[in-house]
Order: sequence, then structure tokens, then C-alpha cells
Amino acid sequence: MDLNNTPEDIAYRKQVRTWLEQNLPRDEIRTLDDRRRWHRKLHEAGFLGMGWPKEYGGAGARPMEQAIVADEMARVNAPAPTNGLGLGIVGPTIVVHGTEQQKKRYLPKILSAEELWCQLYSEPNAGSDLASLKTSAVEAGDHFVVNGQKIWTSSGAVADWGLLLARTDTKVAKHKGISCFLMRMRQPGVDVRPLKQITGSSEFCEVFMTNARVEQADLIGRLGEGWAIAQTTLGYERGGRALARITSYASQYHRLIAAARRLKRHGRALIDDPVVRQKLGRIWADLEVERYQALRTLTQLERGEHPGASGSLTKLSYSEFEKRFNELALEILGPYGQLTDGAPDEFKLEIDTAVGDRGTWAYSYLWSRAGTIYAGSSEIQKNVIGERILGLPKETRADRAGASR
Amino acid sequence: MNFSFTDDQVLLRNSVRSALDEHCKPAHVRAMMDDAKGYGEALWAEMAKLGWLGLPFPEEQGGAGLGLVELAIVLEELGRAAYPGPYVSSVVLGGLGLMLAGSSAQKEKWLSAIAAGQARASAALLEDSLDWSPASTAATATRSGDGWALTGVKRFVPWAHVADVILVPARSPEGLSLFLVDPRAPGVALKAMVGIDLANRWSEMRLDGARVAADAVLGQPGGAGPTLDALLRRAAVCASAEMLGAARRCLDMSVDYVKVREQFGQPIGSFQAIRHRCAEMLMEAENAHAAVYYAAWALTAGAEDAPVATSICKSYVSDAARKVCGDSIQVHGGIGFTWEYDLHLYMKRAKALEPLYGDAEFHRELIVRHVAA
Repeated sequence: MDLNNTPEDIAYRKQVRTWLEQNLPRDEIRTLDDRRRWHRKLHEAGFLGMGWPKEYGGAGARPMEQAIVADEMARVNAPAPTNGLGLGIVGPTIVVHGTEQQKKRYLPKILSAEELWCQLYSEPNAGSDLASLKTSAVEAGDHFVVNGQKIWTSSGAVADWGLLLARTDTKVAKHKGISCFLMRMRQPGVDVRPLKQITGSSEFCEVFMTNARVEQADLIGRLGEGWAIAQTTLGYERGGRALARITSYASQYHRLIAAARRLKRHGRALIDDPVVRQKLGRIWADLEVERYQALRTLTQLERGEHPGASGSLTKLSYSEFEKRFNELALEILGPYGQLTDGAPDEFKLEIDTAVGDRGTWAYSYLWSRAGTIYAGSSEIQKNVIGERILGLPKETRADRAGASR
Repeated sequence: MNFSFTDDQVLLRNSVRSALDEHCKPAHVRAMMDDAKGYGEALWAEMAKLGWLGLPFPEEQGGAGLGLVELAIVLEELGRAAYPGPYVSSVVLGGLGLMLAGSSAQKEKWLSAIAAGQARASAALLEDSLDWSPASTAATATRSGDGWALTGVKRFVPWAHVADVILVPARSPEGLSLFLVDPRAPGVALKAMVGIDLANRWSEMRLDGARVAADAVLGQPGGAGPTLDALLRRAAVCASAEMLGAARRCLDMSVDYVKVREQFGQPIGSFQAIRHRCAEMLMEAENAHAAVYYAAWALTAGAEDAPVATSICKSYVSDAARKVCGDSIQVHGGIGFTWEYDLHLYMKRAKALEPLYGDAEFHRELIVRHVAA
């Protein structure tokens, strides 16, 4: 056990820091085109798809190097690249499960942001029970015909392509009849409607597919392997950004401390109130424990081990932490924390949100409710931990045997 | 950067666990709960032979020269076994205290004897007020002949009744000082303080003009503050490691139990109400693991964030261990509430350590002082 950084990692961090000092956009990113330009700069520097093989435009970098880039970006509050799902989910899925042709066709354009991607998994009646999804893909010669409805599709409004889970066999058990496809979003049979969330913004969409077309060549893996593939892609959502997100929260924490020096209760600054101090002490401990855990995950990744079910522990712990952090922030900030506009500078939160807006404490608070629902709710994570790590008996379920409908 | 145990560390953990599985079964713990001394000499001698009693001491004093990560590994296993005996008091409070501030003569005399299992030590860090800040020390030391006379009341002195030497903080004219006191000397009176963890022993220690020699001062008179701060940090991390071990044992027992206990015609572990609770227990145990070993590493490596990491560790693990141990009783139901079932041995160990070396609130205040400075 040695938590010191190696000289190579220290040197690499310095190199990334220098690059960011020289290249960080001076002006605020307002449009998708602005973000694409920034994205391409990051790509040219070799900071995107870092873990992907070099022959498809990746950098073949170690997990630690990826973590350093993300962490340094968080340190200076650098804007995120675009195509988050392409980089985070779709690309890695194609790297692991795609054919040579698919890798050559799709990976470079994900990296260059020439093609933006979304993920078509959840359905109105298939949330936690994702395997009960009903969207169908029926083989018709050289292509499949897709019908159904997807929901909670992030980046759906701007996506050119989607990673789709659809049912290709209704006669087998529900987990076995699902296949995974790459689907063109800009075609007549695909209708995308933004979904307005409690944040007031629309990071997500609903997608309606009516006789939409998917090519045979765009099937990922074999027919019926979609569920297994989806299980691995959910894992990709955890990992490389583990350190960076803690760094972001640490800088938010220091803004919160600054606010607590100015705000008062009974004539006394909040920072001098023992109750507030206890809460600030607890949340910093929680935040640091998440950082220590990120170091453990990175150690695993560096050794080439896949975190597997232990990723559920990370996800559960981190997403629940985010809710507690944001609850405390709004408790300390009072009504300032609820402002979406008009806040004095010292009570503003200046972070870059998923969609590229300048975030507010209010937005961050509301958004933190999503983390314990998406990519497997906390309850689902606890089931996974119970069954796969602790080896507890499976619950009796009505849907284990038999065909899906 | 590597946050996993080395092969040697894994080997150490496995050998400690297998020795304790053999020599420190629950029956042994229960036997010692009724024993006058409270610990077994045979196991103590075995621990000396295995090198555990000198683990962090320099090799020239019979030690193994290992760091706090290795010490935490041993302590996690001792907590997992609810080990009854003066290990922490001798090796951590006495031993590390001597290592931090002792003269070469003091170290030569005591560390070798502790490592060999021939002497036991302790430290008297608490008084009536229960304030862990060394600055609150009220006991006094006045010059008396060539040496000193100590007066005051110390509480919760661990394993004082079997100790050969006790580190005692007291105010001398120079300021806060640390003395080596023989608990059997005239002017020293011990009285048992019996807590819920019967496998642990505490004493009240009354010093009534107790005489110590001039060479009984540890470090410089008036210079004990930094030593006590450093010792408190090490003790806090060691106690956290022991709590972690106790919590792990409770979790393991719970998981085993809910797999076989049937109600409503099914193992209760198949119910989400139980399964989710067990998953939360594992999450807390894993987070506690990260907090313990990060802090242990930081202290050994002299990392910049070692003091705050220590406070993060003790505050997080105190709460986590209480939750895990408490939940383990809940998922066991009635049987977990019986004296006969072993669960309470571990639950009480964790509870006894929770307020020691600063409770969660004490350390959360320190965290804010560090971070918002």
C-alpha cells in the first residue's frame, strides 16, 4: 500500500495542467458549436477516449492518466466535452463488443464529435426492471424494423445515433430475448420529444420509434446478447471520473464555507455555529471517504481488474453522498440556495452542468435526486450487492421463468 | 499510487487471523471476561513469539519496524476476535508514546520488554472532564527532591491493573509534561471501572503526591503537547481499525445467519428489507476500511493531510461501526439480544471504542478547523 503518486504521474499531471492553462476557453461556452470546438481541442490533445486502442483514435492510456486529466479539468472547472454518452458508454461498448467494421466506422466520429450519441434503454414500463422492455426489433432481410417507446434518453435531442436495446425474441426468458443495436436517430421512423424534468431543463428525451430501421451490420454482439452487453455498459458509467467529481465537490465545499462566513443566525456567523460546524465536518469526512474509495477503484483499474459488482457499492455510496451534500448546501444557503437567477456573486455556484449551462446550487440540488435513480436505483444496487457480493438468496420473483410475454 | 495490501500485508493479516481463530475463540473471550486479570498469559506469550507485541518498534529494541498500516491490520483482526487483553494499551498507548518522545534509555528499557511480552504499558489520557484535548489536563506535577510528585485523578486508564508502566500527563511549572509512572508505587491507587465490554478493562487512577524520579519525564518538561497530539492520532486510527474488525465480524455473522434463518417459509436474507440492510452494512464497512487504511498510511508516510485524515477516520468509523453492529443485532432478531449468542461481544467492543481518543463530534470539529482554516 503506497498512496504516493509515481514520478511519471506527477510529471503527467504537470503536463496536463500546463496544457489547460494555455488552452482553457477564455469565453463562456454558449452553443453546441462552441462546445464542439472545445471538444475537438481536447481530442487533438489526446484527452478523449484515452483508454481506447490507438488504432481507433484512442490513446491507449492507463486509467490513472485518464483520472488525472479529468481531475485537472475539474480543478480549473473546465467545460466538459460534448458527446458524454458516446465517450462514456457507446464507445467502450463498441470497443469491447463491436466488430472490426463497427469500430472503424463509429469510434473516430465519436471522438471527433462528428456524430453525437444517446442511449435508448429505459421505457415507461421498464425502469428498474429494464429486462422487461417491450420495444421490438423484427428481422426483415438486411435490416430490423423497430417499434416502441424509450424514455430517459439523455442527449436525445442532439443525437445522431443511439445505442438501442430491443426485444428480438419473445419466446425465451425475458433476459435472453434482448439484442443491442446502433440506430440512426435522424430517420423518419424516429420521433424525439424533450422531457422536461424537475430542474426545469431537458437533459432527457422521450423517443418514439415507428417502423424505424436498423441495419443488420449495426447489431452489436449476437442476437439475444443484449442484456449481457448492457450489464457491462452500466459498469462503464463508473470509473474514470471518480476522482474528478470529488475535486468538483471539494471546490463547491470551499464556496460553501465562504458563504457560511457571511451568513448569520442570531447575530453569529454560521461558520461559528457548532451545529453547522458538525455538519460541515461530517460532509467533508464523507467527501474524503468517497475520494479514498475512488483511489481504491483506480488501483483496481490500474491492475486491469474490472470492479464488477463492487461498482454497485461505489455507485450507491457516491450517489447517496451527493444528495446529502446538496441538502446541506441548501440548508446553509437558505433561500439563496434556491435561486435560479439573481443571486449575489458570493452565493452563486459556478459549475458546468451536463448540458453546458452555468449551474446553480438550486440546479445541483434538484439534479442530485437523479443520481440515486439512473443507472440502477439505490434499491437495485442494494439488490446487486446482496446477491452478488454477499451471496444472499434471491428473492422469489414472479418473472424468473417462462417467456417474456 | 496503490491502495491495496502488499503480499506481505496480506500474509500478515492471514497469519494473525488464523492464530486468533485458534487461540482467541469466543469461549476464550468469555473465559477472560470472568478472569481476575482479564487476559491469558499463554496467548500473550504467543503474541510476543509471533512478533505482534513489537510490531511498530525499531528492530534494535526487539521490534519488527513496521508502520501503522501493518499495525492497523493486526488491530482489525484483534477487533474481529474481540481480543481481551492489553495489546492496544501496551503497544499503541505505551509503546508508540515511548517511541514518540522517549530517551534512548527509556526506549531501551521498555520497548524491548514490551516486545518480548515481559512488560505491559498504558497511558492515562482522560480525566473527569472527558476532554481529549491535552490542554485540559488538570493533574499536577511539582518538584520533589530530585524528582517529581504527581497529584490528580485519571479515568478510564486501560489495563492499568496489569501495567508495569503508565504514561501520565500532568501540569508541571514548565507546562504540560508526560511522566512514566509505576502503578504499584506508593501514592498511586487503582480502582476498577467496569464497562459493558467485559473483555476490556479500565481503572480509575488516583495520584496522591505519587513520587517519580527525575528520569521519569518523557521528553522535555513542558513539551508534552505535541507528543500527546501525535499519540492521540495514532490511538484514534488504531481504535478505528479495531472497530472496523468488530463491525466486519458482526456483518459476517449477520450474512451467515440470514442465509439460513427461515421465516414465512424462506430464508430471511431473500427479503429486501433484510438484504438492503446488509448491503448498507457492507457499504459502511468498506467505507470504514478506506478511512482506516488511508489514515494509517498518511500517518506513516507523514502526508500533509495526516491530521485531518485521522479525524475523518475516527469520526466516520465511530458512526459506521455503531450502525453496522447495531444493524447486525436487528437482522438477527431475538437471538442477537441473548447473552449466549456471541454477537454482543463484538458490538460492545465497537461501542467501548466509540468515545475513546475523541468521539465523532470531537473529530468533526477538528476537521472543520483544518479545512476551514
